Amino acid sequence: MSLGGAEALSGPRGGLDMIDVGGDIAGRTPWQLFWRRLRQDRVALASLGFIVFLIFVAFAAPLIVDVLGLPGPNVQNLNLTDSFGSPLGPSAAHPFGVDPLGQDVMSRVIYGTRVSLEVGILGTAISTFIGVVVGTVAGFYRGWVDTLLSRAMDVFLSIPILLLGLGIGSACAVKGCAKGLIEPGLGVIIFLIALTTWPFIGRIVRGLVLSLREREFVEASIALGASDVRIMFREILPNLAAPIIVYASLQIPFNILIEAALSYLGVGIRPPTASWGQMVAAATPIFNTAWWYMVFPGTALLATVLAFNLLGDGLRDALNPRSAR
Amino acid sequence: MKSIRTAAAIATAALSALVLAACGSSGSSSSSSAASESAGGTAGFQSPTTESLGGKRGGTLQVLDESDFEHLDPGIAYYSVDYAVVFAVQRPLYSNKPNSNEPTPDMAEGPPEISPDNKTVTVKLKEGIHFSPPVNREVTSEDVAYAIERGANPNVANPYIQSYFSSIEGMPNATGGPIAGITTPNKHTIVFKLTEPKGQLVVDALVLPLTAAVPKEYTEKFDKHKPSDYASYQVATGPYMLKNNAEGKVLGIGYVPGKSATLVRNPNWNAKTDFRPAYLNEIQIQIGGADSVIGRQVLEGQDSVENDSQVAQSIIRLAAENDKSQLQISPGAGSHYIAVNNKVGPFSNINLRKAFWAALNRSAMVKARGGSLVTDVMTHFIYPTIPGFEQAGGLKGPQVDYNEHPEGDKEIAEKYIKLAGYESGKYTGGETITVVGSRGNPSEQDAEIVNQTLKNLGFTTKFTLVEDATMYAKYCGVPKEEIAVCPSVAWVADFADPQAVLNVTFNGTTITQTGNVNWGQTNDPKINAAMKAAEAVVGRSARATAWAKIDTELVEDAAAIPFDWDKQGNIEGKNVAGVGQLWNVGQWDYSWTSLK
Repeated sequence: MSLGGAEALSGPRGGLDMIDVGGDIAGRTPWQLFWRRLRQDRVALASLGFIVFLIFVAFAAPLIVDVLGLPGPNVQNLNLTDSFGSPLGPSAAHPFGVDPLGQDVMSRVIYGTRVSLEVGILGTAISTFIGVVVGTVAGFYRGWVDTLLSRAMDVFLSIPILLLGLGIGSACAVKGCAKGLIEPGLGVIIFLIALTTWPFIGRIVRGLVLSLREREFVEASIALGASDVRIMFREILPNLAAPIIVYASLQIPFNILIEAALSYLGVGIRPPTASWGQMVAAATPIFNTAWWYMVFPGTALLATVLAFNLLGDGLRDALNPRSAR
Repeated sequence: MKSIRTAAAIATAALSALVLAACGSSGSSSSSSAASESAGGTAGFQSPTTESLGGKRGGTLQVLDESDFEHLDPGIAYYSVDYAVVFAVQRPLYSNKPNSNEPTPDMAEGPPEISPDNKTVTVKLKEGIHFSPPVNREVTSEDVAYAIERGANPNVANPYIQSYFSSIEGMPNATGGPIAGITTPNKHTIVFKLTEPKGQLVVDALVLPLTAAVPKEYTEKFDKHKPSDYASYQVATGPYMLKNNAEGKVLGIGYVPGKSATLVRNPNWNAKTDFRPAYLNEIQIQIGGADSVIGRQVLEGQDSVENDSQVAQSIIRLAAENDKSQLQISPGAGSHYIAVNNKVGPFSNINLRKAFWAALNRSAMVKARGGSLVTDVMTHFIYPTIPGFEQAGGLKGPQVDYNEHPEGDKEIAEKYIKLAGYESGKYTGGETITVVGSRGNPSEQDAEIVNQTLKNLGFTTKFTLVEDATMYAKYCGVPKEEIAVCPSVAWVADFADPQAVLNVTFNGTTITQTGNVNWGQTNDPKINAAMKAAEAVVGRSARATAWAKIDTELVEDAAAIPFDWDKQGNIEGKNVAGVGQLWNVGQWDYSWTSLK
């Protein structure tokens, strides 16, 4: 009588073939599981590819402009406007047309990638860092520390970023404020974004830490005499990686849009630095005669924001498959 | 000077002239040859210098106006769009026919008399001019005296009274009460006694709406309010009046702020006393909307015109390409130039100013403003249609090397940089200079060209764009801010006299700590003295010559960097026989315009 079950368990190709798991059973880390799931999400992968491409474009902007034979982003050439001063449209030499100063729009769109990514990524990194630290501390200590930090988050959440940007833009435009420390430009935009968006992630982290700190592994660490800092940042924090990554990836496009909005309102990036938002703003009054001046930077902005959003969705699904869309 | 939208900021500051925000302003012309020459680039377009006598009587004109009026009180109004209404409902002592910058007696019976010592001006008024309801009575010289006196009342605060009328005895200390230097020997004579020989300047300024009669017994109660609300109850002397009720109330009836204004015929207007034909029965003004949308409505409509300080560039182009009969180009609409700080910073060095002038591609600057249809390259400071323009060099301007090449000349720029002591031919002073420009098309483009030019010359710039009004009120008009370069300041004279173009803008004695319009703080004792002497000159031709010489000295001093003389494009519907005010940046003249 055959011990089919035993054979199956011991044999190389036994009865468990019926439920083939695809080879040897191997232990997989959460990251491996995440990557397996993400690889199956084509939209997220395509978005990731586009973002990698954008990063390449941002770093290699001068090279790309050179290879394409385009003039630099700030090269003015009024010969490229017609007798009414209207810019000329797309042509072989200027595939995206030119702006009212005769500057090549494609060249400026390429360089504009730098501003958008700098603001998107740096702004998010800073606000995430602040949010994670403050949220973790608030959730871990609870009590008056939590009350204090949570109220601080409420205060920062109530700051209207566009109005603050407009205020700084008009009050500090020429001479700067605080002895020149605050001047409209890239630095101030990143600072503003960090200042007003860190509480979003701070609140999420705080809530998660509040529940995690009651778990056994934390109690074990306390019993072993681990320091508070170690418990917070070595024991608890690694468990929050997934929500932090998802949140940050969704914060990036939001920040890119804030930069575009501030530049659109004229208080963002200083000219002549190319910024998509500023280009869209400048194109608005002449859209009837120069559609290309709005369409190309607008499309770049749309595609970039969409890519980050889709990647963020993909990351959320891959990191937390139980979540519903 | 009349003005312009953002001009308000400056105007309140005080001085005479006005700044035009985006572009247009007014002008005037004594020399018709100048006018026609400057309009040379507009061949094929209907010129506003043609009066339409014999127009059809009747009908309602629709006016589309992007933004609201600043002031409709004749004692306060100081903006070209406001003037279009004010000059249809009020009659100053003198005014301009649409095609002219030569004052024509309006409420006055004839030309003014200036005494031989240039210190007394006498004006006789016509008889038979009446105020509109509810006042109804005949206008007297006392009404003109009161109109001017109330201008000094802080509740009215006329923006130009001290610039042009301060030589009237008692005017500097006036606060609204009787002024010793203004007397009315009889019901139809008014006499101005001056403390300085400035009769000609006072006479020139009598075309301003401040001299439009105001009935004291009716207006006093409104003028006691701060600010005066006479505008909301005003009565008219012109062919039209703002629609009102039996008590004279205009607010909410003939003028709804932010929404509309309605002009109807003034029943007490006597055509025999006026040179205006007043063809239209009614003018309905709608306020609001985007200029590019309004422009299309007008071009596609019948009985409408657009009345704005500036018609959108895209609309001008559309009209020029599709139906030129719907476009009028008015020359002499002021000028744009670059104010450079003559007092502090690198541009206190005359050779660096000349280098900047030489290097600047003025052709590119004017192209960015809409091209030759609406601009000419500026080569000196008195602009086309103002007396003295031709004497100062006409379109070509003084023949100095840094003025010769509108497209910019690197070699000449290098020459002057070397003369300034920088051997390499590039500026190597090291400090960062502040450049404050005005946001929005086309000033923004001009500012960017200026910034690039400065960088090419070796300057390190801190370049900022702010709102137009902010640029004037907070930066370029405030000497202590020490702004090095204001790339796009604009000027339009209040009336056709070269002093109104050059005096407050370049006379060192006019510099003020706020609201300054001598933006570059030019303060050359020789030029100041020449201006003082020229102020006293009597007679249009003599004044033109005297001020043209000063213009040339300003060019030799490179006091500012000129780039653009404006021409104003205005558009009308297919059924409108529009007549523009040459003296008011080409704004439509409702008293001359008719329907076809």
